[in-house]
Amino acid sequence: MNEPTDRRETASSRRVRDRIGRWTSLVLRFIGGVLGSKPKGPPRGTWSEIARRSTSFGVVVALLLTVIWAMTGAGYFWPGWMWFALVLPVAVSWGLRTALHTKVRRSLAVHAVISLVISSALIAIWLLSSHRHFWPIWPILGLAVILAVHGLLVPSVSRSREQVLAERIDVLTRTREGALDVQVAEMRRVERDLHDGAQARLVSLGMSLGMADELLDSDPDAARRLLAEARTAAGDALGDLRAVVRGILPPVLADRGLAGAVQALALASPVPVEMTVELPAERLPAPVESAAYFAVAEAITNVIKHSQARAAWVRLGQTDDLLSMVVGDDGQGGADPDKGSGLRGIEHRLEAFDGTVEISSPSGGPTVVTMEVPCARSSPKT
Amino acid sequence: MRAVIAEDLALLRDGLIRLLKAHDIEVVAAVGDGPSVLPALLEHRPDVAVLDVRLPPTFTNEGLLAAIAAREQLPDLPILVLSQYVEPLYARELLADQRGGVGYLLKDRVMDVGQFVDAVRRVANGGTVMDPEVVSQLLAKRVRDVPLGRLTRREREVLALMAEGRSNAAVGAGLVVSEKAVSKHIGNIFMKLDLPPSDDDNRRVLAVLTYLNS
Repeated sequence: MNEPTDRRETASSRRVRDRIGRWTSLVLRFIGGVLGSKPKGPPRGTWSEIARRSTSFGVVVALLLTVIWAMTGAGYFWPGWMWFALVLPVAVSWGLRTALHTKVRRSLAVHAVISLVISSALIAIWLLSSHRHFWPIWPILGLAVILAVHGLLVPSVSRSREQVLAERIDVLTRTREGALDVQVAEMRRVERDLHDGAQARLVSLGMSLGMADELLDSDPDAARRLLAEARTAAGDALGDLRAVVRGILPPVLADRGLAGAVQALALASPVPVEMTVELPAERLPAPVESAAYFAVAEAITNVIKHSQARAAWVRLGQTDDLLSMVVGDDGQGGADPDKGSGLRGIEHRLEAFDGTVEISSPSGGPTVVTMEVPCARSSPKT
Repeated sequence: MRAVIAEDLALLRDGLIRLLKAHDIEVVAAVGDGPSVLPALLEHRPDVAVLDVRLPPTFTNEGLLAAIAAREQLPDLPILVLSQYVEPLYARELLADQRGGVGYLLKDRVMDVGQFVDAVRRVANGGTVMDPEVVSQLLAKRVRDVPLGRLTRREREVLALMAEGRSNAAVGAGLVVSEKAVSKHIGNIFMKLDLPPSDDDNRRVLAVLTYLNS
């Protein structure tokens, strides 16, 4: 919070700040010496540091005054003025900071905080001076009326926009976290797959080769067996690497784009899949393409694993700025995202692109999963 | 035998040249990118072409597209396509012209030198060689649709081995049955898949294609 302020401040304000910092520090050191505590920190500091020091200095003075008041007979509570002067700036700064952090109707929040602080100050002054006639009622009523008018007038103009923005920020925060979570989980999976698969196999391959080398002269038959083992290990390592690559970015997706890759999925599916593709020749942006592919792949996997369908169909289509993918089957239905059938995974994948997933799956079927992703193409058609 | 190879990684290109040379297959040209493939094939008219799927400039499926384009201009040119991964979709595209002399193998198969060289020769002689990985990916599918559903389990096993490019004798050895029994099975497969009588090689390709299209 302090950094940008510090960067923007002028030379004179820095001079003033340093001087205040030095003085408060000196005074605090003096008081600290009196009270037996040690001075904290260097004499220079940021504005918030100065505020903190001034506040603690104020508290010490007020405490001293209160002690003096108590020792001199505890009559009219005059140190209250000192406390009042101390609490007011703290209340103002805390209240404003809180108000400025609100997302919706910030101006109204600031207004409310200012009114509240002024009202409290007036009541405090009334308490400290005379208790007779409650005069603060009039200014407080005035402030309340102004605040009410503000509250009634402002929202109709600016609430919708602010609220839309606030909701958008909430969605973006959530989906960004989701996207990062997915990414981290993927990286971890890739790391684990490489570690347990290809890396382990290459170590074993190296061992076989080393042992074969040792046995080459003394026991050629054993050496030959080890070489055969090494070859098998190399083949298995390649197989593992292929599986990892397929999980990151299937080569057929890189080669042929969404339509070709989904066609390859359909071809590999044990449940016959009928394809309808109405996509422009132009490729989608790579991240959208990848998310869309994995979403369709997940949906088809669900059909194969859970639906007991005899047939499935996939429809890919794109209007100007909306990619739609519909996966349907004639299976038993009853798909529920909360049962962890991968449908949540699809949602998370597509959410990062403001995509949506709709599932219609009555018990007894059929199941239709409709996925849509906005996709503003980089070069709009003329 | 004369071969043209296309492989962009020098390490693998040199290895392939050495390996083929050691088995009396002369590499008359070795190119490193997609656009050079067709001119090299037209110039040298080799007995077989061995192409990597992923080549510059796009590093996608340049080699596959070059193979399909080359088959249009040189219909009888045998082509063996190598790749780090196999995709049944691509196998189907390679076989689409329904002529023999086509192979599609994982690069890993190079490690078994004997079998690899054998595959190159079979393709050069007009055979069809599919990687066992393609075949097993398709085998993983439950077969319940016509016309493959009409085949018995044993007939499907024979068809799978046929797709890998095995001869009748090799299929028989693989399934531990006599060669005569194999030709009987193959006759039944042709009949059940409604393949018209023609020369045996072509019907074998068509049978494999039906299999891939299922």
